Amino acid sequence: MPSMNVLVVDDSSTMRRIIINSLGKLHFGNVTEAADGREALGKLTPETGLIVTDWNMPEMNGLDFVKNVRANPGYKQVPIIMVTTEAGKAEIVEAVKNGVSNYIIKPFTIDVLREKIQAVLGVELGS
Amino acid sequence: MPTAIKADHINPFIHSTLNVLETMAFTKAQIGKPHLKTGEEPVCDISGSIGLTGEAAGSVTVNFVKGVACQIVSRMRGEEHTEIDATIKDGVGEIANMVAGGAKGEMEAKNMNLNIALPTVTLGHELTHSHPHDVTCVVVPFTTDTGSFTIEVALKTS
Repeated sequence: MPSMNVLVVDDSSTMRRIIINSLGKLHFGNVTEAADGREALGKLTPETGLIVTDWNMPEMNGLDFVKNVRANPGYKQVPIIMVTTEAGKAEIVEAVKNGVSNYIIKPFTIDVLREKIQAVLGVELGS
Repeated sequence: MPTAIKADHINPFIHSTLNVLETMAFTKAQIGKPHLKTGEEPVCDISGSIGLTGEAAGSVTVNFVKGVACQIVSRMRGEEHTEIDATIKDGVGEIANMVAGGAKGEMEAKNMNLNIALPTVTLGHELTHSHPHDVTCVVVPFTTDTGSFTIEVALKTS
């Protein structure tokens, strides 16, 4: 499972670095990054097995990115975790309604990321 | 005459700052004494500012000197940076973003509506921020093992 490609999408290079470091500690070494939804759409591959995306980004925000991903028959099932400062119930409901599999509110610990990845992939990850 | 700011308006930003630093930068911060901005606060080298609208309108700004900004962002990224560059600017912007986002969450739980804009990061030695006369600005100092920094919460309530 950890050999799958993970696509990390966030306009902040610092947040991408934090997520990628955390994924590395969880033994996900095959990671691709993108700074916005439009760039991320171009980096989807058949090996993309998990997407971790921010919401508020330039060019194409995370919600529109998720809608585009889900509109592609090849990616209807790929798990998508949204990592964002948007913490309102309405925002969470809207994200899930449009295809987000799970939701993390910033700031977050690696334990929270592990728990959410385990939940969407249905696997147990080492600590 | 500036509008009075309530503790309910400031505390969410304090709580959020402490949470962001501990969770994302593995840094415990201690709060100093909040005070109204006098204009004689210590200079800083880099600031991340976020506009706020809604029930509490204004801005929140995180102010760092170079060494503290570099150390905190380095801890977040797990890699050493010693000069203010695009990476540090990005990190300070993300700190401001998360501070504002966390405060928004706490305020909305108390039925206080708050909308946050995208962060603006400004550089420059002897950087200072001024505010309109009808905005009250509270400065909250923090200390960490990397040094001191401040947040400024400038609000007028509707």
